[in-house]
Amino acid sequence: AEDAKSEDDATAQLKSPDSSVVSVGAGGVSGNASDRTLFGQYNGLRDQNSDLLLDVDIRKRDDATGTWTILQGRNLGLDDRELSGTLNKQGDWKVNVDYSELVRHDPRSINTGLANAGTTTPVVQNLAAPGTGAGLNLEQRRKGLTLGGEKWLSPNWMLEASFKDETKQGARMSGIGLACGVYASSNNVCGTPPAAGAAGLFAATAGALLMLPIPVDYDTKQFEGRLNYAGDRLKVNFGYYASFFSNANSALTPGIGIGVLPGGSTVVNSAGATLTDLMRQPMALEPDNQAQQLYVDGTYAFTPTTRATFKLAHSHATQHDDFAATLMPPAGVSNLGGVVDTNLAQIGLAARPWTKLSLTANAHYEDKDDKTPYGLLSATTNAMNSQRKTTGKLEASYQLPDNYRAILGVDYLSVHRDPPVGSVALVDPGFSAFREQTKEVGYRAELRRSMSETLNAAISFNHSKRDGSGWLNPALAGFPTLPASAIAATGTIPATLEDRTRDKVRLSAEWTPIDDLSLQFLVEDGKDSYNSPTSAGLQDSGMRNYGIDAAWKLSDQWRLSGYWNKGYQTQHVNQSIGYMAELNDVSSTVGMGVAGKPKEKLELGADLMVIDDSNRYQLSGGGVPDVGYRQLRLKLFGKYALEKNADLRIDLVHQRAKLDEWTWGYNGTPFAYSDNSSVSLKSNQSVSFVGVSYIYKLK
Amino acid sequence: SALAAGEKCLECHGDSEDVLPYLKTKHGTAVDGRTPTCMSCHGPSEAHIKASGGEKPDRTFNHNPQTPVAERNAACLACHQKDARRSHWMGSTHEARGLACASCHQIHSGQDKVRDRSTQAEVCFKCHKQQRTEVNKPSHHPVLEGKVICSDCHNPHGSVGPKLMKRDSVNETCYTCHMEKRGPFVRNHEPVNDDCTICHNPHGTVAESMLKMRPPFLCHTCHTPHAAIEPTLGGQSLGPKVPGWNGVNITQGRGCLNCHTQIHGSNNPSMTPTPQFLYR
Repeated sequence: AEDAKSEDDATAQLKSPDSSVVSVGAGGVSGNASDRTLFGQYNGLRDQNSDLLLDVDIRKRDDATGTWTILQGRNLGLDDRELSGTLNKQGDWKVNVDYSELVRHDPRSINTGLANAGTTTPVVQNLAAPGTGAGLNLEQRRKGLTLGGEKWLSPNWMLEASFKDETKQGARMSGIGLACGVYASSNNVCGTPPAAGAAGLFAATAGALLMLPIPVDYDTKQFEGRLNYAGDRLKVNFGYYASFFSNANSALTPGIGIGVLPGGSTVVNSAGATLTDLMRQPMALEPDNQAQQLYVDGTYAFTPTTRATFKLAHSHATQHDDFAATLMPPAGVSNLGGVVDTNLAQIGLAARPWTKLSLTANAHYEDKDDKTPYGLLSATTNAMNSQRKTTGKLEASYQLPDNYRAILGVDYLSVHRDPPVGSVALVDPGFSAFREQTKEVGYRAELRRSMSETLNAAISFNHSKRDGSGWLNPALAGFPTLPASAIAATGTIPATLEDRTRDKVRLSAEWTPIDDLSLQFLVEDGKDSYNSPTSAGLQDSGMRNYGIDAAWKLSDQWRLSGYWNKGYQTQHVNQSIGYMAELNDVSSTVGMGVAGKPKEKLELGADLMVIDDSNRYQLSGGGVPDVGYRQLRLKLFGKYALEKNADLRIDLVHQRAKLDEWTWGYNGTPFAYSDNSSVSLKSNQSVSFVGVSYIYKLK
Repeated sequence: SALAAGEKCLECHGDSEDVLPYLKTKHGTAVDGRTPTCMSCHGPSEAHIKASGGEKPDRTFNHNPQTPVAERNAACLACHQKDARRSHWMGSTHEARGLACASCHQIHSGQDKVRDRSTQAEVCFKCHKQQRTEVNKPSHHPVLEGKVICSDCHNPHGSVGPKLMKRDSVNETCYTCHMEKRGPFVRNHEPVNDDCTICHNPHGTVAESMLKMRPPFLCHTCHTPHAAIEPTLGGQSLGPKVPGWNGVNITQGRGCLNCHTQIHGSNNPSMTPTPQFLYR
């Protein structure tokens, strides 16, 4: 009788969603915070050596009413905790509340004398030598609260709404720099060039770099409401989406004492300003902005096998955050008065006129109209802000004899960028020519075959070509046409505007040689070739990937999986002085996993992941060393049923990482700023984590 | 109800750990009249019943299913097409590539892996191998940590945006978490307005800030300035710093961004010092 009851209980457990599981335990991490800056970037395990591990999962279904009550908490003892609650009367209404935290710890180690770091008024204080200041950890903490609800008004109509408020606080890495000695031109960064013969101006030593973390005190609110109708043929949704961003800070003004900066008292412009004066100028921070969108989208079934999809949307975005007085806006102008209106229209058609033939067509048009009166602030601007984008797609898929399927497709993309409005010229844009319009047409062909019940393979080819309208001169008012022959061969044209030819081939196969073993194979190769009237800028790029995946059910108790991937990416970038940078990234990844239940009460699992990534920066004039990243991560877990309603779980994680790079240090010397603030990263990091949890299932 | 209508099936499958947990799911909520029976999805399957399982059900979804993908998906879409989030499934990349609902979803399981934030990525990585590698690079969104998951940015059931973006464009999707980049600013930076992925790979990179390449190489794909200076290292010493603009300071630290710090746009209305360069 006891066996029968036990069997009934087991069957009931399979059928009933009701469960109340609380997992409580402790975790310990090896080393100190600097040993785990890569490991603990997001997972809440960087700062503390030991942590509370607490998870909750409570779910009940009232079978009489079909009402679900769900409470879930994850990582409640860590700083990436999540807690959510849902009440849902299935098919009638639903309300949910979600709370989430996330801290992103900057992995760099900073040593500085900076006072008030992370505020709007940092004070630069010179260190006698790098490393003699205090440590500074930069982090950004997000806290988000979401409220949501749904209500079925009838079998055809449903109303849903959600509101999310998220704050983000902390500080992020930033800085300012200035170099006057090299700017002796009419567009001098330090002002008007000095009068002939004026001594001491534009001294080559007049320049500085300062690390100034930007304070982050953001609040983001998003609301979306949608009324959905679902009829037999027509399904349509009427939606409103609004988003609001506010930043508690408008400007950052560094304090720099006289004599702090090397060469700081050097007069660098004819107005008599010193380098220190210029470095003290305020920096504008991100302004408040908001956007609202009204949209209608949905689908219409002409027949069971012919459907149209559609969307119409209008968005109105504004930015009228008042400038900080310290930024010295022109008289009578208190804010930018930014307005960007965007209209979007999309229509698609998917049909299966015959069993063997599927057709898909799609057209998408987006008109982003920047109505901001930039001219109120300046006669010059530096970007093309309005654009119209048209995309189109046609695709046919046909089932051929012998289990072949052929797919042919054509893609179209046109982007029209309006030249700046009210501008006399793009002042020193840093490129030699631009164009208003680019057009790209791509062709795709794919052949798939089911060779047997256990083997499927596919090969696909993509070819596309981008060109565009004539070249324009960014340096002259009115942006006159610039014949290709008049563009300096050493000039650069933005890669997004250059002519481009793209080719890609992809071969994949899935094989299930026996019921319990499946294998996947992948090879892909692609190349982009860029062409413009100049010999500088991006010349070509390429990629190649190989991959094998395997999943094997060894027995009813054990499963094994594994994968191997190797990827290559290359870019050739030319510069006007003639150096050619060959940038190659080679990345290898291996993963293996095993999971099993060797005994009724015992579950075990292991996952191993190894990544080896090498970035090579080869320059014709010498170059910089390779950047390497290697990481090994081993995760083990075991779960043992102590009682019918209690388990013990042990997790072990070991991660070794080596980031060998020169961004913030070279040959053991950290990168140092003008005030001797220094930044570095511990190259070799080894971390072990042990977690023990008691999992109790409430009856 | 699902339970009642499934009685016939449960005579044989009543103790199956592969089948029975479907009663734990929303499909198993008997009081909801919309819930399917076994036969709603698998068909009447009379031959299967008569042969006591010797024949396959009319529609099968796993284990080398013979049912065409469109027919399998039609069984799900008969109800789930009503969901506004699936309005653009038809013609979407996943639909056109022959993906079945059951390729990602475990219908009978009480815990559908792809709907769990901590395990979703494992399902997506079955096909998206490159992304599986990228999320393991040092600069990445917290995908493996379960804090930013694939479906936070992508709608795998189809969308109006490119790459199945959840909102209408790449940028509109990025702004849901990074709204400070939206502007407009007094001084804008064209590619920032155009598409964040011109410079960033959101799945992960070795370069900081998920940049596709380190500055200055990334910047040199569009810009010429400072052409007389080649990226170099080793100019830093423990003595006086090499000031401002040189091979070291355009290469190390934040590279070009050491000076052009407001690279996403500057809201500085002042005309000094030369705000179009996005210095402050």
